Amino acid sequence: MSTPTIEKSEPSPKDDAKTSRLWGRPAFFQSYEQELALFNTWPKRAGVALVVLVAFFMPFSLPDATLRSLALAFVLAIAALGLNLVTGLCGQVSLGHAFFMGIGAYTAAALSGDSDPEARTIGFGLQEIWIWLPAAGLVAALFGVIVAPIATRLRGLYLAIVTLGLVFLGEHVFREWQRLTGGAGVGRSAADPVLFGYDLRSPAPDGAFTSDQQMYFLMLVLLLVFALAARNIARSKVGRSFAAVRDRDMAAEMMGIDLPRTKTLAFALSSFYAGCAGALLFTITDYVEPGSFNLLLSVQIIAMVLIGGAGTVGGTIAGAIFIGMLPTLVRDIAPSIRFEVWGRVLEFSELPSEVPNIFQVEQILYGLLIVLFLLFEPRGLFGIWVRTRTYWKSWPFSY
Amino acid sequence: MKVHKTGIALAVLALVASGCRGGDDEGGSSAIDAPGVTDEPCENAVNEDNGCIYLGTISDLSAGPFAALGGPITEAQAAFWQRVNEDGGIGGYDVDVTSYVKDNLYNPETHATLYAEIEPDVLALAQTLGSPTTLAILEKMKSQNVIGAPASWTSLWGFEDNILESGSSYCVEAMNAIDYLQEQGGVETVMAIGFPGDYGGDGAAGAEIAAEAIGAEFVDFVETAPGQEAQSAAISAVVSQAPDVVVLGVGPTETAVIVGQAAARGYTGRFVGLSPTWNPALLQSEAAPALEALFTHAGPWGSFGTETDGHAAMREALPDVDPNDGYTSGWAWSYPLKAALEAWLDGDYAKTREGLVEAVNELESVDFEGMLPEEAGDRTGDNDIFTQSVISEVDPAAPAGLTTVQDFTAGPTASAHEFTGACFEG
Amino acid sequence: MTQFLEALVRGLGIGSVYALLALGFVIIYKATRVISFAQPAFMLTGAVVTSYLTPALGVVLFTGFSFFLSVAGAALVTAVLALVIERVAVRPMVGKAVFVVAIITLGIDIAVRVVVTGYIGIGSRPIGFPWGIDTVELLGLSVQIRHLVMMGTVVVVGLALLVFFQRTPFGLAMRAAAFDQEAAMTQGISVGAVFATSWALAGALAAIAGSLLATGAGVDRQLWIIALIALPAIILGGLDSLQGAVVGGLAVGVVEQLVGTYQRDYLPWLGDNVASVAPYALMLLVLLVRPYGLFGTPEVRRV
Repeated sequence: MSTPTIEKSEPSPKDDAKTSRLWGRPAFFQSYEQELALFNTWPKRAGVALVVLVAFFMPFSLPDATLRSLALAFVLAIAALGLNLVTGLCGQVSLGHAFFMGIGAYTAAALSGDSDPEARTIGFGLQEIWIWLPAAGLVAALFGVIVAPIATRLRGLYLAIVTLGLVFLGEHVFREWQRLTGGAGVGRSAADPVLFGYDLRSPAPDGAFTSDQQMYFLMLVLLLVFALAARNIARSKVGRSFAAVRDRDMAAEMMGIDLPRTKTLAFALSSFYAGCAGALLFTITDYVEPGSFNLLLSVQIIAMVLIGGAGTVGGTIAGAIFIGMLPTLVRDIAPSIRFEVWGRVLEFSELPSEVPNIFQVEQILYGLLIVLFLLFEPRGLFGIWVRTRTYWKSWPFSY
Repeated sequence: MKVHKTGIALAVLALVASGCRGGDDEGGSSAIDAPGVTDEPCENAVNEDNGCIYLGTISDLSAGPFAALGGPITEAQAAFWQRVNEDGGIGGYDVDVTSYVKDNLYNPETHATLYAEIEPDVLALAQTLGSPTTLAILEKMKSQNVIGAPASWTSLWGFEDNILESGSSYCVEAMNAIDYLQEQGGVETVMAIGFPGDYGGDGAAGAEIAAEAIGAEFVDFVETAPGQEAQSAAISAVVSQAPDVVVLGVGPTETAVIVGQAAARGYTGRFVGLSPTWNPALLQSEAAPALEALFTHAGPWGSFGTETDGHAAMREALPDVDPNDGYTSGWAWSYPLKAALEAWLDGDYAKTREGLVEAVNELESVDFEGMLPEEAGDRTGDNDIFTQSVISEVDPAAPAGLTTVQDFTAGPTASAHEFTGACFEG
Repeated sequence: MTQFLEALVRGLGIGSVYALLALGFVIIYKATRVISFAQPAFMLTGAVVTSYLTPALGVVLFTGFSFFLSVAGAALVTAVLALVIERVAVRPMVGKAVFVVAIITLGIDIAVRVVVTGYIGIGSRPIGFPWGIDTVELLGLSVQIRHLVMMGTVVVVGLALLVFFQRTPFGLAMRAAAFDQEAAMTQGISVGAVFATSWALAGALAAIAGSLLATGAGVDRQLWIIALIALPAIILGGLDSLQGAVVGGLAVGVVEQLVGTYQRDYLPWLGDNVASVAPYALMLLVLLVRPYGLFGTPEVRRV
């Protein structure tokens, strides 16, 4: 704390390492500081820059419907980053993410809702995104802290199923609390994405941007912010203590890490992410129904973290985009699946009354793709990346 | 952080390759300036000289809770428009409802995503199944001037210009059924059991209004959830409070459970089921004797076997199906859209989506070929709530297990009630 | 009092079905340390197979007999299906992260469920239970026969499992493998066979449970949701305890029925539909006191 000036005045080994770095073997760390840096190798820096650049230019080449799906996937990625903090980094598997997303969604919807006391649902008329977004995160984090004492007592599958119970109890409350949520089957409008008086959901007045493009940019920027924060948490003292708890909680305790405090912190941080993602997820359709916060949503987020693999930020985002875009992908490929049996081409019927029909094939494919992916690549997208990277790193001696 | 590169870059490449912005423009040379209308014939055109109007369908087709209804509705609509095409199409166009059929899994977010996908390619929606799902796209439909035929009977649709509903709502069905039972012989206590919200809640609201109007006591609205074993609270309430009439707003399975078990535990009053409570398969269920003894069905139109020209045409177009009122509903819901397209193409309307919305709102009557009275299609009044419905009773001999005991009638409650908004909103 | 006792009997009946489902979860967990989310699909498969077999067998047999034979047949078919799935999709994942396997079972569940649902058709299929929803008078209580059959089944199945695990060599092998896989292998026990048997048993139990549940109103598309109620039951009893699964299942059934009967009169402010979430609330309460459930083995941890 008190030594930054001294550090600057002396030629530190850090500067040394940076200036004298060799080219050619880019992925090797040459100092401890480098290993801990935000982007610890130059190919990583370049790669991230390229991806971000491409992401910012996509709205100019893709149709609105695809942008919409991508924007939804980005929000799901924020939720998955949150789950990654508690599951990937801290090793506590939580199936309760949908519950925290629900808390966030309704906090935001209530804050930004119509403040007319006669209105069907509660509202406070605070439409600015910089008010309701942090508020949604904070309220969800508060619930995370409340739940944590139960959660810190349990481990493994017990914890998973208890957090699942949270989802069922939460869904019940959401369905019954009609003043807040509009009730099951009726729902209410979600938070309004208003930034300094400008509603991002309505198209730009001069027609420069459609609402889908604007929402895409919003979600992209927010995803980058949350991803950067997650990466910074992971490489901080807190993140390292999470990893220690994951690897062996008793050993971590021996090293002086306060287990309940660390786990509570992990739950709070993860719930904060979930709350923000929940608040954002429904702004795209401007409609939120209490039945949305169910087991399926939780499982989807868990699948994102697992398919991404290995608890890295990039892997989680890639997993979220994969799972988020999978239904679209499946819808595109299902019609082209056909079998040839004894010279006869069999296609799936488009009539829903016939078995098997194309809509069933879509669902089956969705299930099977997840199974096949994990079967052949249990380490997820990260596993694929590691193999590719190793291949090139050790080239020409790769095997 | 490293996965960024391959993972996302690959996704980006795939996406960039798969579609290009602005590439979805329509032909443009057509006399009609609306998406989803082309001068080229449809893919499997009946009339090769006609242009093509594409209509979208977003329904529950595989794993959602209403898939047992979504399938028949979708199939009946395909048959309906096939018949229209075989009669020469509408104003020089064939209508295609099979190219854009999507499965919403009864999930509002999925529904909205699918709508965004197909909206640039269709003129209107031949079917948008479910209330929460349709609510998720309603604002977009309004801003994009898309009209759609619903596949649900919530009373909210009576107040939405873009939703082309047919027949009475759950709320009105419940009112008319209670008025009917009152005529048959005195109703003193009324209870409602249903899923909360747009369906059961709507029916319960109607039941409460009707009970008040006839001077009966409205005992309770027991909200329940889908599932055979989730009905214990509802059954206990029926048995212990023993009301004269119980209005049910649940699914067919729950209907079988509630009616069967309540009867097994000694309840002898009357059950009224709103339209989606019935399924002919219930006659094979363990609850069949109880249903035959205690169940009255309140529906928006006559069951599958009813003798009208429309019903006969439907049975002819769907010769090999198991009778089910999902087909009846899909068929009946298509008439207003057909009338609207005819009025739009023949009349003096702008040949755009805006013109179609205008044509819809100036419809004075719809020819339902007898399935519904013509005035059921009147959309011109300030208060165009249709208040006539049909009462049926269980009849194992009828094709879909129901025979009409009272044809289209508006009971005193529904006739006198002033509808100012969706019933379930209170 | 009559009302209370009748609710209790109903609860024990439904609870027996939860117990069967919970037994399946626990058997798989003990053998492989994984929770199989494919149980709902197996349950639906069993019910659908029964609904097809009963009428087919009914032609040649008494109605009552054909139902029970069909349930046995469905259990067999489902067990074979479970065996195949275990061999193809789960065995390759031995030793991989538990939750990856859990998600795989979930994917299987989606795929199998969609296929099976296709055979239900429009609406629901009757299961052919000979007594339908008839009731009998028993000690002054009106009790549904199907609830008695459910209780009877869990007793028979429970005893059969007890004999299997305690008295047969392979049962002993399964217990040994559950206790310590490596030690069991060194004793010449085929751990692969243990895995396969556990899945087959769980599939068969789920099939019986599904068929019994469908006696109320036939097989419909949403039947599988009930399998999720067994999750609180297994946690309540303790993940690795067979008697815990039975006790947990019965407790969940009773609590659900009692809450359904009395909650609206005594605790109306909780809202409606509380009965369906009551098992989860019960689970949370029990875990506050006993973190490993009622009968679960506390994990001994070493640094």
